[in-house]
Amino acid sequence: MKKSLVMMLTLLFVATSLLAACGNSSSGNSGDTAAGNNSKPAEEKKVEPFELTLRHTQLGEAKKNRFAILEDAVKATEAEVDGLTIKLDGVDSEVNRKEKLRGEMAQGNPPDIFDAFGSPDVGVYAKEGLVLDITSILEELGIKERFGTSLDPWTVDGKVYGTPIGGSIEGYFYNKEYFEQKGLKVPTTIAELEQLAEKIKADGKIPFAQASKDAWVPLMTTNNLWAYTAGSDFTYGFKKGETKWNDPKMVEALAKHQEWIQKGYYKKGELGLAYGDQRNQIINGEAIMMFDGSWANSVFLDPAQSGDMVGKIGFFLMPPFNAGDGYSIMQDSNNGYSFSAKVADDPQKLAAVKSFIKNLYSEEMQIRGLKEDGLLPAMQIPTEKMNEAVTNDLMKEIIGTLADVKYKWPAFDALVQADVNTELSKEIQKMIGGEATPQEVLDKVQAVQEKANASE
Amino acid sequence: MIKSLKKSVNHIFLLGYLAIILFPFLFVLFSSVKSNNAEISSNPFGIPTTFVWDNYIKAWVNAKISTYFFNSLYISILASITTIAIAALASYAITRMRYRKMSTFLFQFILLGMLIPGNALILPIYGLVRKMNILDTHWALYIPYTAVAIPFSVIILAAFMRSIPSELEEAAVMDGLGPFGIFTRMILPLTIPAMVTVFIVNFLGNWNEFLLANYFISTDELRTLPVGMVGFRDAYNTNYAQMSAGIVYSVVPVMVIYAVLQEQIIDGLTAGSVKG
Amino acid sequence: MDKTLRKPLTYILFVLPALILFIAFFIYPIMDAIYYSFTSWNGISKNVKFIGIENYTTVMSDGEFWSSVKNNGYFILFSLFIQVPIIIIFSLLISNVKRLRGLYKTAVFMPSVMSTAVIGILWGFIYEPDIGLFNQILSVFGVEKIYWLSDKSWAMISILITNAWQWTGFYIVMVLAAILSIPKELDEAAMIDGATGVQRAIRITVPLIMPIISVVIMLSIAGAMKAADIVLVMTKGGPAGATDVMATFMLRNSITSFKYGFGNSIAVLIFVFTLVITALYQFLVARRVERIEY
Repeated sequence: MKKSLVMMLTLLFVATSLLAACGNSSSGNSGDTAAGNNSKPAEEKKVEPFELTLRHTQLGEAKKNRFAILEDAVKATEAEVDGLTIKLDGVDSEVNRKEKLRGEMAQGNPPDIFDAFGSPDVGVYAKEGLVLDITSILEELGIKERFGTSLDPWTVDGKVYGTPIGGSIEGYFYNKEYFEQKGLKVPTTIAELEQLAEKIKADGKIPFAQASKDAWVPLMTTNNLWAYTAGSDFTYGFKKGETKWNDPKMVEALAKHQEWIQKGYYKKGELGLAYGDQRNQIINGEAIMMFDGSWANSVFLDPAQSGDMVGKIGFFLMPPFNAGDGYSIMQDSNNGYSFSAKVADDPQKLAAVKSFIKNLYSEEMQIRGLKEDGLLPAMQIPTEKMNEAVTNDLMKEIIGTLADVKYKWPAFDALVQADVNTELSKEIQKMIGGEATPQEVLDKVQAVQEKANASE
Repeated sequence: MIKSLKKSVNHIFLLGYLAIILFPFLFVLFSSVKSNNAEISSNPFGIPTTFVWDNYIKAWVNAKISTYFFNSLYISILASITTIAIAALASYAITRMRYRKMSTFLFQFILLGMLIPGNALILPIYGLVRKMNILDTHWALYIPYTAVAIPFSVIILAAFMRSIPSELEEAAVMDGLGPFGIFTRMILPLTIPAMVTVFIVNFLGNWNEFLLANYFISTDELRTLPVGMVGFRDAYNTNYAQMSAGIVYSVVPVMVIYAVLQEQIIDGLTAGSVKG
Repeated sequence: MDKTLRKPLTYILFVLPALILFIAFFIYPIMDAIYYSFTSWNGISKNVKFIGIENYTTVMSDGEFWSSVKNNGYFILFSLFIQVPIIIIFSLLISNVKRLRGLYKTAVFMPSVMSTAVIGILWGFIYEPDIGLFNQILSVFGVEKIYWLSDKSWAMISILITNAWQWTGFYIVMVLAAILSIPKELDEAAMIDGATGVQRAIRITVPLIMPIISVVIMLSIAGAMKAADIVLVMTKGGPAGATDVMATFMLRNSITSFKYGFGNSIAVLIFVFTLVITALYQFLVARRVERIEY
């Protein structure tokens, strides 16, 4: 039977390798011991040509406006600094965050300017001394105060290690046309929101679009609920051990979210749906409200994605439990630019970085981001100026809600260790699936939190 | 009469299986001519009401599918061929040259490669590619693609070469051929069926490879097709219609190659098994 | 003869290119992974701290790791008891027809040439609870909606079905090659003896293709141990970790959490488990069917 043996081996390896070749879509995790470096452009002393690499993630059709803004800031910087050429290096956001940048950091050799996530990523890099402390640059330029709380995820021990590209808030997108037809009004308390949900459900529609395959999607709602029940500062305390996840006020928030799930306010089976699907639920009219980030607005302005739903979507914030308590919302500013610590060794590069920050973080650029990209400014800009810049109604509505906001806070994942986020993500899915109670979820998360705190 | 009835029963089952296989492709074809996401998601399997051929043009031109397509094509082909060349040399040495012990060891050693989980190796490989200073060039794909396919190529080619009767070789030696002459004039022509098989499998693997391509190449013009396809599937906005058109572009060439070469593959496998 | 084929320099030159590439892209990386599996390295820091086998004890005492191992097991069981019979039956069917054989051969192979990312999107639509193909078919028979990917009890089987859809055709082509290589005379002799088609298939063809079946099983095991991308694109290991396999468990618990050392210990475990299972299979099953040499 030797002949079959030959064939058998032959085929064995044909297919194994095909499996192997096709089977490695996800990424690796092992260490990178390579010591060699790409030699950086020589660091000249005089005003001779020099190069700065800038890693960005503004690729593709959806981000082309954001890329145009970046390009203009780059051009302005090049014009301002003698001899400077900025080399743009575009990489997919996820790849950059999880693989490329990490590989470079492991070698101690990140690009001069790079797209990054403030917390926990830049925090970890900063502790290794790989990221440039830009506190003094921001102070010198006089713009540090204008960022306000949006620098929180970028701050370690009082030092700032990066600046957010823009900001975004979270709230409910809703089907305005439906609201008008049924005579529904934008709610001002949680109780009113629940009444709305009840009515919509009675009408045979899904009150809230949600797609929980990625746990961060439902956690947007949960996070906002606990910001109301436990307070907007509560999340800051987890890492310091000052507050606990299984606090009764936290349980109250999760119990509320669970109650909504049990009452059937969400589509059945949404636990298996990918993020994009919750937009589809709104677009095809089966769901009426959707808790999502303000970044979703571009979807509802694009006829290719939203069909005839364009112009029929409105926006309101999650209301407080009691009228008059003041709105409390998440303001995300976790994605932005940081700089290699090595820049500090070269006065020319340092000057270039300073000029880049100045050019990207001007009021003009921030308003352009809002106008062209639908991205809320990371810096504080007077509401009138924002309103002037924006032409579409949905974006106007989003900006309009900002005036009501009393408390702003970063999303929880920017304030706790990654392990804690991993645990909460898994447990919240269990709660949605009806396998865990709020108390169980929070007890487990607290246990992981304590372990993570102890190992710091 | 009974016989033909039996045959039709066979066909009924087979056509049923075919339907299961092909239905999702039908979805891709339908979606590729629909106007927008709403039309797709409201009735994914419905026959399109309008035919938006524009999606194909847009995918090809705007989304630079043409660039990605040719990048993928030439890298996949070159890497597959290089692998075969290198693997054929090694297989020849291992199977036909008289270093029994060394060859057994080498063969076992390379066999080990089949059991190493690819998922875990990306970062060390990244370090390597970086050291070679070829990141963000097509070399960064060409070399790893060539390397990753070596173990199985060696093993399959070795199996074929082992099956070649040594009488042929003796005759060649009489004619005064050296090892290289025997390799090029005699062994290679006999191994062609196996090489076609290896080529197809390597080509498929390279053509669909996503991880390294996404990771090692950052210049847009240098990207390959799978990476370009995922470009459509941006994290927040998905254009299903154009993506479907892109899928069609990515599937058609491999199907054509397979359809043309499938007899060769089967022959190759058959030849190897019979001669063993 | 021996003299001609014993030229050390030629031998080395022939073997060296393959060997260099193999060591660089296989041996070095796995060594690297083993090294870091004994550290608490976060993937960034210059300080690599050795912590002995702590990573291994941590992961071995994690119930969720073992549930992901169990899911790898389901991959293996599904291919053994569902996929393999299907593969055999359809290979026999195709080998039995003359007309349209080319079409069948080409068509069954199609799913295997698509990238897994694309397949994930496609099957997302098929499993869609409201408008998806499966539930629409079931509703004809009055079966209630099944939430394929979001119901814990269905999610894993859904992934297995998709995985089977992707790879069954590939194996069919393999087995078909084996069947077609069987000398016609054997079959004809049996036909003269009056054996029916089914009898011939069971008595002659199947025994002769047992080695290849054994290969398919081996491949399924190897594939099952490495599986990751199909899970990632279908469910990302959810709901609540119900469909995690070892590789996705590793990714989730290492990359985003900056636990590279820990992740590497899982990578090494995947490698070791694969070795053990393939070795076991070789010794317990394959040997009886067909001795595998080399």
